[in-house]
Amino acid sequence: MKKLIAIVLCVLMMVSAVACASKPAATESQTGTETKAAQGKVFNIYAWNEEFKGFFEKYYKVPEGVTVNWIINPSDGGVYQQKLDEALLNQATAADDDKVDMFLAEADYIGKYVNSDYTMGIDKIGYKNADTMYEYTIKAATDDKGVCKGVSFQCCPAAVIYRKSIAKDVLGTDVPAEVQAAIDTWDKFDAVAAKAKEKGYYMTASFAETFRTFSNNCTMPWVDANNNIQFDPMITAWIDQTDKYIQNGYTLTAGVWDQEKTNEMFKTGKTMCFFGPAWYYNFCMTNAMDPENGCVGDWSIVKGPQAYFWGGTWLLAATGSDNTEMLKDIFETFTINEEVCENLVKNENQYPNNTKIAEKFANDPTYGNTAILDGQNDIAVFAELAKDIKWENHTNYDQLLNEGLQNKLQEYFKGNVDKDTAMKNFYNYVKETYANLNVPQA
Amino acid sequence: MEKKSRTVKRRRSGVSYAKWGYIFIAPFFLAYFFFTLVPQFLTIYNSLFENYRVGLTQVGPNWVGLDNYVALFTPEADGLVRILKYSSNTAILWVLGAVPQFVIALLLAVIFTSYRLNIKGQGFFKTVIYMPNLIMAAAFSMLFYTLFSNVGPIQIMLENAGIVDHSFDFFSFRITVRGMIALMNFLMWFGNTTIVLMAGIMGIDQSLFESATIDGANTIQVFFRITMPLLMPIFVYCLITAMIGGIQMFDVPQVLTNGRGEPNEMTRTLVMYLNGYLRNKNYGMAGAISVIIFVITGILGGIVYKMLSAQYKEPKRHRDRGKGGNVQ
Repeated sequence: MKKLIAIVLCVLMMVSAVACASKPAATESQTGTETKAAQGKVFNIYAWNEEFKGFFEKYYKVPEGVTVNWIINPSDGGVYQQKLDEALLNQATAADDDKVDMFLAEADYIGKYVNSDYTMGIDKIGYKNADTMYEYTIKAATDDKGVCKGVSFQCCPAAVIYRKSIAKDVLGTDVPAEVQAAIDTWDKFDAVAAKAKEKGYYMTASFAETFRTFSNNCTMPWVDANNNIQFDPMITAWIDQTDKYIQNGYTLTAGVWDQEKTNEMFKTGKTMCFFGPAWYYNFCMTNAMDPENGCVGDWSIVKGPQAYFWGGTWLLAATGSDNTEMLKDIFETFTINEEVCENLVKNENQYPNNTKIAEKFANDPTYGNTAILDGQNDIAVFAELAKDIKWENHTNYDQLLNEGLQNKLQEYFKGNVDKDTAMKNFYNYVKETYANLNVPQA
Repeated sequence: MEKKSRTVKRRRSGVSYAKWGYIFIAPFFLAYFFFTLVPQFLTIYNSLFENYRVGLTQVGPNWVGLDNYVALFTPEADGLVRILKYSSNTAILWVLGAVPQFVIALLLAVIFTSYRLNIKGQGFFKTVIYMPNLIMAAAFSMLFYTLFSNVGPIQIMLENAGIVDHSFDFFSFRITVRGMIALMNFLMWFGNTTIVLMAGIMGIDQSLFESATIDGANTIQVFFRITMPLLMPIFVYCLITAMIGGIQMFDVPQVLTNGRGEPNEMTRTLVMYLNGYLRNKNYGMAGAISVIIFVITGILGGIVYKMLSAQYKEPKRHRDRGKGGNVQ
């Protein structure tokens, strides 16, 4: 009898263990058989934040019967890329409904996905690039063979966004044209920084605030053909400038995304200039739009000392997607659909990837940004800058190299370490992150 | 009569219950074998390959022998060997947290179990000191970051009180960052240690304490002559598990410094280093570091065990013999 009980117990234990292990497999095969129709019922989107999700849910009508899954992982430290890579590498064997259908990529690493077989040409889904799109957004999504793999719903020319009240105090004027005249070269910008300092203000609120104006104007890529890390003179210039700004107290040691910096956008902030494109408003300037402590209307925008662009979100079509019609639909909605593009400007403070709509707003005397600016036509400023954006010298390594350089140098700017040590820490970080890259022998 | 005894005999020889014991513990050993032991050997094997991913491209695995280990121990131009730096960081961080952890835990355990003090509301205190351990380490760490960041309440309070100026940053000093990490580890673990040590002390025969007191031993003598020697097996167990945990320290410093180990990588631990390599699925280097951590853990565990248990084996046996004599 006891023997029998023991056997029964043992069997039960084994069965429960096996049952636990095999459950997920069973459901997987189930969902696999469900979707043999031409178009899938599940649409999986990989993204690193909720920005596009917001627009998507507002402006795109999901076809009936399709479930949209958002898989969102933070970009910081390359987590998003890791998770996405994992999913793409499993793409071939995944069940149809588990396959990535569309994913978002940023300027800093879009090349990695565009130049791989994990993305498919948008001509395959029946989408044709509209001639209203900005040239650089197409180039960024085009691989070495000339196949375009995705579209961007935004164009990201970036400018200087300044506090009018502080400009008035420092320069005696807050009129954009006059402010622009006062800061249209880096030398002049430095001179204004000195003046601002005298009056008790900061010129910028982060040591890395101006980083993109330099890094996106580099004349050579981060990594050469032989996998050697190379420092563009522009990057060196940024380090020198920041060095000076920190020493003179023109800026803070906070990082671009740090709370210490964004706190400077409150009414009580002491910082005159911020550097960013249109997405910067919603993404970084929520403190400025705070109903109680913010300062809506105390902002204007000018070109600044150097034209540049920053970031941008591309929508890429993943190879193996079973929702090609929906992909095409989404791409069209956010690039060609004029109503949506207009709404992106009017309601979301975006700069659309549609020259026609952009020109329309730029030339519309009745249009003005009141969400954060004083009613100035910011689209006109951005439109001027957007014409000159070039897509060159980008590598697949940009995100983590830019991030690492800033993190390691921040310690130097804070005074924790000397410059040599900071650079050595950076090189070590590079070796750790990308074993294939060669760093200068420190 | 004879019949009965025969059946008993037959039963004994026919059914071996020991077999069932083995069967019941088999799942653990199977799980251990497949999920711990095999991966362990695979890690060692993998550490001998160049094997990483660059973006979506896989490099390797290529056999490189001990190259990964050589790379880890090759000094940089100024003589810095990073893995040694991270090892010493880990050791310092652990010791800073563990010393107060064990001192306070021992003290509390002795106080709580003292038959003379007989403290009321023990359940309450035990729950409270265990509380910090219930919070996820990452959340706890995040809390500390928020408190001490340069826009956090503590900084603002100190600034308003005129003690520090705005340029002061808790995360710029080795001592403050390490202090925070040690404090968190201490807070999280002293309650746990206290409860285990209490269980150990309560397992000691009360009459020993009583007779020692009658013989005129004071509290300190009782602690060092009776409590500690008899508690030693449990104490060593606590110490070794705490040490293994310490060598694997990761979440608290990782979250507190956002993975950077600031200032100047002074709070970067071995496992944070390991994690840095896993970013690009660099299984070769990560494997080599894992093996090194394993070896360090093994050696240190062995040393602690030998030192402490050897020291107390002799007197214990001695006293047992003496006690036995008395009873006879």
